[in-house]
Amino acid sequence: MSSSLKRPPLLIKGNEAIIKGAILAGCKTFFGYPITPASEIAEAAARDFPAAGGTFIQAESETASINMVYGAASAGVRTMTASSGPGISLMQEGVSYLAGSELPAVIVSIVRGGPGLGNIGPEQSDYNQIVRIGGHGNYRNPVLAPATGQEMCDLTIRAFEIADRYRTPVYLMADGFTGQMMEPVSFPDPVPPLPEKEWAVRADAESRENLISSIFLEHDQLEEHNRKLQRKYKEIAANEVMVDDFLVEDATILVVGYGIMSRVLRSAVRAAREDGLKVGLVRPISLWPFPSDHLEALAEKIDRIITFELSNGQMVEDVRLSVHDSVPVHFYGRMGGNVPSAEECLEVIRRYAAEGGK
Amino acid sequence: MSFRYEMRLSGEGGQGLVLAGKILAEAAAIYDDRNATQSQSYGPEARGGASKSEVIISDGEIDFPKAESLDLLLALTQEALDKYHDDLKPGGLLLVDADAVTRLPEGEWKVIQVPFIRIAREKIGRAIVANIVAVGVIVRLSGAVSVKAAEEAILARVPRGTEELNLEAFRTGLATAEEVAPTVG
Repeated sequence: MSSSLKRPPLLIKGNEAIIKGAILAGCKTFFGYPITPASEIAEAAARDFPAAGGTFIQAESETASINMVYGAASAGVRTMTASSGPGISLMQEGVSYLAGSELPAVIVSIVRGGPGLGNIGPEQSDYNQIVRIGGHGNYRNPVLAPATGQEMCDLTIRAFEIADRYRTPVYLMADGFTGQMMEPVSFPDPVPPLPEKEWAVRADAESRENLISSIFLEHDQLEEHNRKLQRKYKEIAANEVMVDDFLVEDATILVVGYGIMSRVLRSAVRAAREDGLKVGLVRPISLWPFPSDHLEALAEKIDRIITFELSNGQMVEDVRLSVHDSVPVHFYGRMGGNVPSAEECLEVIRRYAAEGGK
Repeated sequence: MSFRYEMRLSGEGGQGLVLAGKILAEAAAIYDDRNATQSQSYGPEARGGASKSEVIISDGEIDFPKAESLDLLLALTQEALDKYHDDLKPGGLLLVDADAVTRLPEGEWKVIQVPFIRIAREKIGRAIVANIVAVGVIVRLSGAVSVKAAEEAILARVPRGTEELNLEAFRTGLATAEEVAPTVG
């Protein structure tokens, strides 16, 4: 209790927890344009950034937001934006430029129902766009997927660390439900003062020679640049996998789900265990890099995998790539803002369990 | 099975039901040392027509924070009652505004009719605190939140300068619950 006396937890929305985390991470600038269900992020940033010595700008569009992020990142300060569905689509050109220019930034996506205008309910239908990259060129971007209010704060901080360490844009990807719900959140200590970025352009004589650009007109130069990027992605893939297991030790059936879906699955797994079914849950926290080696190792001991998503089946392709054809990989999804109940998931688990071992 | 209590507070936008939900969740999670989550209507849904706020209070982990089997439903309007009563479980507590709600749905519920808005207007002098009167009734009837924790959460959440008004509304709610409690169960 002693630490909680010093800093008691607050009951706040997931969207607000992101901004609390960003400020603790030393983020100095926020550029954004409101969109449901992500608007509270901009609202909290407008309220909290100036007081924390930072800058909040409501841009005229999502395109402007991401390009302001490019500018602030070039100047060497921690920077972020947040949006949802259509707004994230508009930002994709800018994300590609961030990746090409090797600029650290955090982009928050609170995924809503699509395609098109869709609706404002929770979906996970932007996995393909965000995890497999939505812009042009040979790049990847790390993606972290929080499932709780606490993780909305903690993984935002982590996203800034990864962004700076590898000089890359990093996504925090959650859904409308996780953004909107309130849970108690405890806050860690703020990060210590950040070292100056020697590559940044700081409008002074020392940084005058620094060049932030993604243009390489010579083919060999651009190929060399791309090879350097790929070496960096390999390093990220080796170092930055995050995954959470629940009751997998003796499991014969694995369910895989991330974000809000994983919370429904925890209830379903508990209920399945009461039925005598040996079910375990794997929750990828980093969607790229995906916990492929982890799933591949677990697949040796199990009969089948069922992947649950609030989509038409997007992450399931990464699950299949991870385990090759060693075990059957099934998929169950809901769309349109609907979240399956634990009972609904349990029915799916029972149905596949009845098919027996491999 | 550990303690778990699901409630949905419903009415129309502007009745302060989201604030009431936050107060109950904060009382449980911050001041009572239980787990709690609160979720609510958002976007256009929150700006007109029926609106809702859901609170889950538990001694254990809360996996999925969506109320699916309600122990308590508060409805301050007929429209909200019609729209949101489906998930109230058999034996659950149906708490409706005695003046605004004229048609009760069929179901195996304990129905309690309280004129929340009239009480707020006539006893406290401000119809706007009907939500806090309801918090008082809910605290007493549900047992999911302690009186002390609810008072602390009210003081932390209501606008500055309205603390006494809201505490009076809360205590009036507690007393009202004492009067109707014998009809429960």
